[in-house]
Amino acid sequence: MKLLWAWLLVSSVAAAQMRVVAMPGKSPLVTFRIMFTAGSATDPPDKPGTAYLTARMLAHSGTKQLTYQQLLDALFPMAAGVDVQADKEMVTFSGSTHVDNLEQYYQLLRAMLLDPGWREEDFERVKQDAINFLRVNLRSNNDEELAKEVLEENIYKGTSYGPYSVGTVSSLESITLDDLKQFYKAQYSQTNLTLGIAGGYTPSFLERVKHDFRSLPEGSGFRPREKPPALIQHNRAIIVQKDTRSVAISIGFPTLGTRMTRDYPALLLVSSYLGQHRSSNGVLYKRMREIRGLNYGDYAYIEYFPRGMFQFEPSPNLARHIQTFQIWIRPVEPPTATFALRLALYELDKLYNEGIPEEGFEQTRDFLNKYVNLLTRTRSAELGYAIDSIYYGIPDYNDFVKTRLATLTREEVNRVIHRYLRTDKLVIVAVAKQADELKRQLTSGEPSPITYNSPKPPEILAEDKIVEKFPLHLRPEDVTVAPVDQVFEK
Amino acid sequence: MKFLPAVCAALILTAQLSSAPERPARVFPYSYHLEELPDGLHLVTVPTDFPHVVAVYIVVRTGSRNEVAPGHTGFAHLFEHLMFRGTEQYPADRYNSALARIGAYSNAFTTNDYTCFHTTFSKEDLETVLTMEADRFQNLKYSEADFRTETLAVLGEYNKNSANPSQKLREVTANLAFEKHTYKHTVMGFLKDIQDMPNQYEYSLRFFQRYYRPEYTTIIVAGDVRPKAVRDLVDKHWGSWKRGDFRPEIPAEPAQDGPRATQADWPDRTLPLVSISYKVPGYSDTGKDTAALEALALLAFSPASDLYQKLVVRERKADELSADNPLRVDPALFEIRARVKSPADVDAVRESILETVASLRERPVDAAHLTAVKKHLRYAFAGRLDNSETVADILASYVGLGRTPDTIDKFYTQLAQLTPEDIQQAAAKYLTANGRTLVTLMPPEGSK
Repeated sequence: MKLLWAWLLVSSVAAAQMRVVAMPGKSPLVTFRIMFTAGSATDPPDKPGTAYLTARMLAHSGTKQLTYQQLLDALFPMAAGVDVQADKEMVTFSGSTHVDNLEQYYQLLRAMLLDPGWREEDFERVKQDAINFLRVNLRSNNDEELAKEVLEENIYKGTSYGPYSVGTVSSLESITLDDLKQFYKAQYSQTNLTLGIAGGYTPSFLERVKHDFRSLPEGSGFRPREKPPALIQHNRAIIVQKDTRSVAISIGFPTLGTRMTRDYPALLLVSSYLGQHRSSNGVLYKRMREIRGLNYGDYAYIEYFPRGMFQFEPSPNLARHIQTFQIWIRPVEPPTATFALRLALYELDKLYNEGIPEEGFEQTRDFLNKYVNLLTRTRSAELGYAIDSIYYGIPDYNDFVKTRLATLTREEVNRVIHRYLRTDKLVIVAVAKQADELKRQLTSGEPSPITYNSPKPPEILAEDKIVEKFPLHLRPEDVTVAPVDQVFEK
Repeated sequence: MKFLPAVCAALILTAQLSSAPERPARVFPYSYHLEELPDGLHLVTVPTDFPHVVAVYIVVRTGSRNEVAPGHTGFAHLFEHLMFRGTEQYPADRYNSALARIGAYSNAFTTNDYTCFHTTFSKEDLETVLTMEADRFQNLKYSEADFRTETLAVLGEYNKNSANPSQKLREVTANLAFEKHTYKHTVMGFLKDIQDMPNQYEYSLRFFQRYYRPEYTTIIVAGDVRPKAVRDLVDKHWGSWKRGDFRPEIPAEPAQDGPRATQADWPDRTLPLVSISYKVPGYSDTGKDTAALEALALLAFSPASDLYQKLVVRERKADELSADNPLRVDPALFEIRARVKSPADVDAVRESILETVASLRERPVDAAHLTAVKKHLRYAFAGRLDNSETVADILASYVGLGRTPDTIDKFYTQLAQLTPEDIQQAAAKYLTANGRTLVTLMPPEGSK
């Protein structure tokens, strides 16, 4: 499953040239991951969504030679396509094909990225899809993802990471096809490109791919990094008001604990201990779901993790120079919302003040030591992690994590907790129907007791007495209520 | 002990796929060992060529289809949860810690026809996993208090799903289309039954006694394994499991005698969804019907179809169009679904779909297009076989239908032999107004 690092050829001949991650193998499939550092952090400030629309346009429109209809017809028999992901820093195009169809597939992929058709009718469709994504898929159909994205927006407000990568309805409406062409010309350069390929291709094929992508402009190198946001002075809450059954909650703050620091493996351990994604091993899951039945699950993250309700592993190529620490509380019944929020903050506070217990440290370390292998069990993921490792300037991700875990001590982890985590200056986002009532509960300081449908052990009931009064440090002026129709609208 | 030597030679996929797609050939490239233990438990072992990792998928052929008792829908899915509540030997905490220590990825899912518990891990931990799984399947033990708490997690799952109109559309469609058969309710179950679950501890014990039995269960082990070693471990840890005797009487659905239609209202702003469903037979690899409907779904409603090009690309009245051919044990719903960009276009989109369905009944499809669809299906299948977990997952879906892995090649042979006339015949037989259920999900009037 895991290729040896020695097999991985990473080449970047000169500073102004593309980087290539090549993983040749015997698989009958060939997998591409083509990443440009042309994410939304490079959007024109008055037109958020430009990077996203450009990427969607390339992946979901015709080429110079083929209309979109002809392109879909050509891809169809191969059961192949091109997926696209656009985040703050990275835009990634990925796809795979059976080696039988490699030549034909590559010609289509090449034309999509290097000879796009830029047709007005494709642009109108892609733009309308993006607007519908905001209005319908996000705002209307997915309270949990909505809460996460509103959290991101508020954590990074005032920086280039602030605007949602998809943009807003009004900014999308204002973007023109010319804007996309200009953005493409400026950002789709060799300097911004990392080209990943794995599977049963030949060396001469790879040379041809590199040659083709050298037709892109050289580009002028990476942009200088911004200073991290330091804007959160006090706990803040945003309540998105909409007609919905339950209350979805996300909590978070920005952190410099990215893979660039040697503290990352310790932070990974901390977030896994507190709330390994979609696993029943995390503290939050045990205390909130398993013992108290508050909801379907509760998790913690040290990196931005969108679409968590649809996938069990993080998507690669969401690398950023600042990351998000986040707690995700899955929808709770409205009467228990304030208690659930308090319980999550109580557990975070406990971790901060008491540190990770010895048993939890050892168990989580052992888990991660093997679990990192599962993260890269597909070729596409393996390529993705390798591309991210280049971005972060670290060796092979699995080696990086395992090597560090091998010497990590509990005391170091507890120091890292104090260095990167915090229990104040948090942003809290809730999607709820009774927004004004929730605001009152959050700001009144009143206890929020909980009742159960079954007997609970005395220590849980005693803990509940503390949790129900756990201070939220929210004043009325710290809580904003936003009608859902206004979110990501302007 | 009965040993079924259903071992097929590994073939080189490239050679098969390069050959004329019309020619029947094996699409599942791995050798597999299929065995039945004396107690009725089935074991499928598939050594793949992906090193180090093993995936264990345990399929219990009990899904929402088995929920025949009134007021007790959702119990198959509830057990997907309860199975993580532990045993005397491995209480939940110990079970989870043990899995954590080996870095395993473990989860479960429930469908209409089966429940599947799956774990992916490093090959040296195979015995640990098979031991713990054997224990919870034979000795699950949970208190009434734990049971009541877990039912709240299920309600939480319903709640998080309820933010998506698709769940509502599925509920309304199933409820309208079926009268007697248990496909009338979704896998989650009726909300009122979920809300009453905390009071059903005794029933839950009966449900477990009935269905968590070897004759309902198949263990699939795929990855870096040797069949003999797997069999020995299964004999050792699962050999004393006792066969049960419960057989549910799942009511047959009477023939539908006319079109059905309704509107589902969504309280908030969303785009209208048009769903048009037809009753089609249960999965079969011996006749052409299932294969023909599988091809038809792509021919008429995939991105390479004329209708998609018209509605999504040219007219841009819809932003999603797809059809789903159900591979189910019993007759189920072939569903065509479109998301419409404006409420004003709902009628036009619905009519376009119905016209396409009519044309499928009236004339054969284009032969070249059918060839492209066959090719697509084979490459789509081949493209999924890139890790042991997916290999096990694919097998689980067919095992859940009560089939053995050889059904995959039989089904793809049926697909390869389809003619345009077969597609027309399937459409004429099943996509008829009498078997149709039409549901439109609408946002409130006046919303943009």
